[in-house]
Amino acid sequence: MDSAFGQLTVLGSSLVLLCGLTLLWRRGSAAHINAFAAQSVALAATAGLIAVVTGGRELWVVAVIFLGLKGTLMPILLKRMDRRFGGPRELEPYVNTATSLVIGGLLVVLAYIVTWPILDVSRLPTRAGMPLAMGLIFVSLFVIISRKKALTQVIGFLALENGIALLAMLGTYGIPFIVEIGVFLDALMGFLVMQIVIYRIQETFESIDVEQLNRLSQ
Amino acid sequence: MRLTYLAVVGAPLAAALVAALVRPYRRWAGATGALLSTLSLAGALRLAGQVLAGATPTWGPSEMMRVDALSALLAVCVAFVAALAAWLGPGLGRDEHYTPAQARRFRIFSSLFAFTMLIAVTANNVAIMWVAVEATTIASALLIPLHVSKASVEASWKYILIGSVGIALAFVGTVLGYFDYVHLAGERQSALNWTSLMAAAPAMHPRVMALAFVFIVIGYGTKAGLAPMHTWLPDAHAEAPAALSAMMSGVLLAVALYAIIRWKVVVDLTVGSTLPDRLLLVLGLASLAVAALSLVGQRQYKRLLAYSSIEHTGLMCVGLGLGPLGAFAALLHLVNHAVAKGMMFLLSGRILDRYHTTEMGEVSGLLRAMPVTGGLFAAGMLALAGLPPFGIFFSKLSLVRAGFATGHPWLMALVLVLLLAAVVAMLAQINRMLYGAPPAGVRMGESNRWGLVPLALCAALLVALGLGGFGAFQTLLDRAVEIVSR
Amino acid sequence: MPLQTGYTVAIAQTALALLLAPGLVGLIRWLKARLQNRRGAPVWQPYLELRKLFAKEVVVSSNASWLFRTAPFVVFASTVAVAFLVPVLAAPLPFDSVGDLLVVVYLLLLGTFFLALAGLDPGSAFGGMGSSREMTVAALSEPTVALAIFALALGAGSTNLGQIVARTMADPAAAVSPGYLLAFGALFVVTLAENGRLPVDNPATHLELTMIHEAMILEYSGRYLALIEWAAWLKVLLFFSLLGNLFVPWGVATVLTWAALGWALATLVAKLVVLAVVLAVFETRVAKLRLFRVPELLAVSFVLAVLAITVSFLVR
Repeated sequence: MDSAFGQLTVLGSSLVLLCGLTLLWRRGSAAHINAFAAQSVALAATAGLIAVVTGGRELWVVAVIFLGLKGTLMPILLKRMDRRFGGPRELEPYVNTATSLVIGGLLVVLAYIVTWPILDVSRLPTRAGMPLAMGLIFVSLFVIISRKKALTQVIGFLALENGIALLAMLGTYGIPFIVEIGVFLDALMGFLVMQIVIYRIQETFESIDVEQLNRLSQ
Repeated sequence: MRLTYLAVVGAPLAAALVAALVRPYRRWAGATGALLSTLSLAGALRLAGQVLAGATPTWGPSEMMRVDALSALLAVCVAFVAALAAWLGPGLGRDEHYTPAQARRFRIFSSLFAFTMLIAVTANNVAIMWVAVEATTIASALLIPLHVSKASVEASWKYILIGSVGIALAFVGTVLGYFDYVHLAGERQSALNWTSLMAAAPAMHPRVMALAFVFIVIGYGTKAGLAPMHTWLPDAHAEAPAALSAMMSGVLLAVALYAIIRWKVVVDLTVGSTLPDRLLLVLGLASLAVAALSLVGQRQYKRLLAYSSIEHTGLMCVGLGLGPLGAFAALLHLVNHAVAKGMMFLLSGRILDRYHTTEMGEVSGLLRAMPVTGGLFAAGMLALAGLPPFGIFFSKLSLVRAGFATGHPWLMALVLVLLLAAVVAMLAQINRMLYGAPPAGVRMGESNRWGLVPLALCAALLVALGLGGFGAFQTLLDRAVEIVSR
Repeated sequence: MPLQTGYTVAIAQTALALLLAPGLVGLIRWLKARLQNRRGAPVWQPYLELRKLFAKEVVVSSNASWLFRTAPFVVFASTVAVAFLVPVLAAPLPFDSVGDLLVVVYLLLLGTFFLALAGLDPGSAFGGMGSSREMTVAALSEPTVALAIFALALGAGSTNLGQIVARTMADPAAAVSPGYLLAFGALFVVTLAENGRLPVDNPATHLELTMIHEAMILEYSGRYLALIEWAAWLKVLLFFSLLGNLFVPWGVATVLTWAALGWALATLVAKLVVLAVVLAVFETRVAKLRLFRVPELLAVSFVLAVLAITVSFLVR
């Protein structure tokens, strides 16, 4: 566990988690999109690192797809969406920033407690980063719950997927290739559908503030 | 065997393809789709027959797909409701409230929806099952706002966001299960097969699998509409077009429960059934409570039906937590509910077309304006309320017996109280809809009579299932229960 | 090592810190001036300021109480006490037995507390405003200091600062571990907050909207002001020593020989210069945060510290 490989993967995982926490800190969609792009790049780098050390060819493909799809393509699409229906620059989230950050820190500690029994199962050198991946999952869930802009909720969801991918990478050096491909396609399709729905929201409500989505409340 | 399976899943896919290729929409494309859905249903019945004869067909590299009794049971349900929706959905009737473009969109995505659900219930590989369930969210989310309005757009946003988050959590559970298996047995392509997981289950690590199961239940439970993750359900099922609501309420919730059942069987072997049972009991009760309380003040009939779905899913969940007898009750309930809810939503579609309102207060004199529809609607409501001779009465009875048998008498008392509240609320509302004089301006008499035939068939089926069902059905049900309560 | 030598070195170390502190701040100011294309005052200007202030008369508000007169001494004394405990030149030192991380934090807090009270004491509007702002900042930054260093302490198995330094020297690979890097990030932000540097507070401003530290000491003059300013500059040096010596401990003397101490002095000066450059560049680059955004920044550093602890806990 003191091995350089283990340390570096933990470093990569920390960077991924920090980008996730940035979603709680910065306001404004541009910052969020950049944080997501940086997170995907860090994730791709971690995948590449694991691929180099373990010699898994599939992980290389995964790393490249992450870089291309989530690191480049999706941020471009998100920025385009933001330009078209950005709306007001900063919407006050339901929970203010300082409290969100503290809650985010506590969620990471909670992820630690939850993942503790899992660490005993694995003998892989990368297992030290698994609680950080779980922490990112919890933090992304919190982002989705506490943010008001539909676009930010989508970015939170994409960060959640990143967290799950990181968990799979650190726990089992990835999942079987065919499943990975299926997951990617699902993720891409899901993202496109979300785009379409947000477009519809903009059309009908003239804003993407999800507080407006409250007509059905009984 | 292979051919039958191909027919079952290939037919809806082909229907989607046909609808996609035919631009602008033509009725024959819709009719072809409906015929293909009937083919799919026939194939599913044949598969069920093969399973009853003792075979367990598998398909695909490293046995990705596998049909056992549980899969066959659900496949028949899915194919049946899908066929109903295909025959009675937009694009085939005469009184059309949808444009050709909307009808085309419906045909494409509802067929894809059926395809993904069939894949989900026949997958051996739990990851493929997951991919299919995620795909159902994507396929159905685009159809909810078929009629674009503020309400339907809001409903579709909630649906896709909450649904996708839930599915992502279910994936965390899947990854954790894979993680445990791999560290036990070494990496293999078939590591994610349910059969492999079952074989390795006794040796897996209890704490990891317990954690995985919590994620699975919360994740797939979101798709199943279990409280407290149910908030998307009333909106989505109420705003969607009637045929889609029939599929979503009738079988999508069942498919999500199926995923939970598959994992529960594995986790029961690893962790023992106490934790999974307790978790399911808690969530089921919560759903029951939420539904019962929400049904009391409902004003729109489609939302009423949606909350009723939550109530019934809660009941099924409670049943799953009560051992083999409870599992039998749950599965019986699942089949009956699929038929009943499908029928009810399609009937509500007809009511909406005629009365042009979703408020129950504005609908009256149903028995006079549309006698057959009204009659079937009343029958369906009685069925959902759990009155004999309909099947749900017997499944509820089995459930309560199971509860007493496993030593939860107070729990069952609570369940009965909640059920009573729900039933009273529903029946009171429906009574107001059925009797009295229809409001002025509402056309009298049935339109599209042929459309009533499948719905009458459903009602007959409900009675038949209640009176003891078909022998083959009973055997299939028993085999399925065997799988669940190993 | 012989106890007498240890105590001597400790006292010498503190004296050295007191001596170097004005020079450090002068260097930072000079670098900022140069970066802003000005000539700037010479590096030894703060020494001249101190000399001027000690010579000047003290003017005290008629509303002030005994607190106003004693606060500068308390602040100065507590900061000097911290100087005894921080490993500036050598570690471990005999004073370590009475002082460790928590004592350091409490001493710093003592100084901050008295300064805030002194801001309130004369009853001027600026003072009260500065004190309340200072308390907001301190509320989040003090725990972060403790947490960030605690992350390092987890690895060393002791909250004794000298021990932490020794442990890092013994295990170089730990210095690049994620826990250390996260703790460094947290501590850097806290350094900015505790010492009233940009983006938290502008040390050169006297505008009502923007000052925190300056507002609290606005009423002071003469030797009181000299003591407070000197204490503030000493705090900067001590934080820099913490940043330098905890995370990059090579050069800190472990044996008390002239050679080791001389080498320690050289590396200390080098680290201080490097950090001064970093700070000057950073301050020139960054704009001051609006006041209600400051808790957000501090929350970030708090979370970084929490993360540092969780990560270190695992790696252990």
